[in-house]
Amino acid sequence: MEQSLRSPWQEILEKVRVWARVNSPWAIHYNSGSCNGCDIEIVATLTPRYDLERFGVKLEGSPRHADVLICTGPVTRQSRDRLLRIYHQMPEPKFVVAVGSCGLSGGVFHGLYNIAGGIDEVLPVDVFIPGCPPRPEAIIYGLVQLLEGLRGREPSPEVKKMLQKTAKEERQ
Amino acid sequence: MNNWSVPPLIALFLFPGGLFLFLWGLFYEWVDRKLVARLQNRVGPRWYQPLADLVKLLAKEEIVPEGSDPTLFYLLPVLALACAMTSALYLPMAGFMPAYSFRGDLIVALYLLSMLTIGLGVAGANTPNRFSLIGATRTLTQLFSYEAPFLLALLGPAIVAGSWRISEINFYTQQQPLWIMVTQPIGFLVALVGLMGKLELPPFDAPEAETEIVAGALTEYSGRGYALFRLGKNVELVIALTLVATFYLGGLANPLQFLVKTLGLLVFLAVLQTLFARLRIDQTVGLWWRIGALLAIAQLLILFVINLV
Repeated sequence: MEQSLRSPWQEILEKVRVWARVNSPWAIHYNSGSCNGCDIEIVATLTPRYDLERFGVKLEGSPRHADVLICTGPVTRQSRDRLLRIYHQMPEPKFVVAVGSCGLSGGVFHGLYNIAGGIDEVLPVDVFIPGCPPRPEAIIYGLVQLLEGLRGREPSPEVKKMLQKTAKEERQ
Repeated sequence: MNNWSVPPLIALFLFPGGLFLFLWGLFYEWVDRKLVARLQNRVGPRWYQPLADLVKLLAKEEIVPEGSDPTLFYLLPVLALACAMTSALYLPMAGFMPAYSFRGDLIVALYLLSMLTIGLGVAGANTPNRFSLIGATRTLTQLFSYEAPFLLALLGPAIVAGSWRISEINFYTQQQPLWIMVTQPIGFLVALVGLMGKLELPPFDAPEAETEIVAGALTEYSGRGYALFRLGKNVELVIALTLVATFYLGGLANPLQFLVKTLGLLVFLAVLQTLFARLRIDQTVGLWWRIGALLAIAQLLILFVINLV
């Protein structure tokens, strides 16, 4: 019921906030134990060839300035605390993007004694970008999905199709 | 000629003071980022990017780090922005008469601009983070190195005009057949490089070098405080460009001249930003005191000799 009690003024403010959030996602990049392959692809995404600044994405050094934590690799037991600390240092609202197969499930390191698992074992992840490593196009696509989600829109038809497909496969 | 003046309330809140400075500062930040992006062969940000950044930061959570003084933490961004905006009142913004003017307002305007940098430094020193502490040290070190040569470089036109009042210097430079940039080239060079030091643009961005010290003095600032500091820097960009255009580029008589001259300077600064790599902080200080200050003094000596002859 609280939703319906909001005044039109608050709704407009919320729209402005969402607009600003969607148009200026500042990212911080953390490698929690990956082989550096995904990190090279992320850096390639930020280079002039793909130029993420045209979407407002900026790589920030300080977690205090960042909105999106771009995380690569399986979470090793060593880096688990550091990853959590970086996440807690970021101000709300904050989002997490897991890049690469290892970030999704642990990848080839799955089940290893020194691995805590994929990133979703430690943090609430908003977007998973699969690939070993994912191409810069895939990273941009994943980021666009995150922003569409922030805007409150449904995922694009292709993603819906993929989701339906995986759901069907799981049922079989 | 330059005869328009502005009523006080509008001067404070709308035209040279408040809203105009915000919007113009955001616009110039976009021009700067876009130009640098184009020079680096990128597409660059969209025109509303600085506005979106600002609104997003204002809407974000503000974390006050443990061990810092909360009052100072909240107060410093406001103070820095207010000081930067106050100095706009003494300048011929957009080619209009300055809203307020008195003898020696050149010095007041420059000190108000420096308050922004001092605010940055104190904000960095207020937080217990080691990166912001190093950033604060570098910010203040850089302040002490560029301030004297920059002031000396701006004194050249003031001495020629025979006044330390910005509006009179503006009148004087407009009436000259040649721009002061041509008659005092050394002073212009020092003022231009001083401008880059003041704005902490790339060759002199050691105070916020993100490859070394995360984000410098503002590492611990998030949300509102960071937004206000960024806005303060944008305002400083507009004001500093106006100052140098008034003194060295033949004065600002109307809005068109303001637009052309400050944008021209900005394009030049963007090219310089992409050309040079970052200097170490000791190199910056050395450059200023060994070369910058000497050049500025040489320019002043030449002026005195010409005046005597």
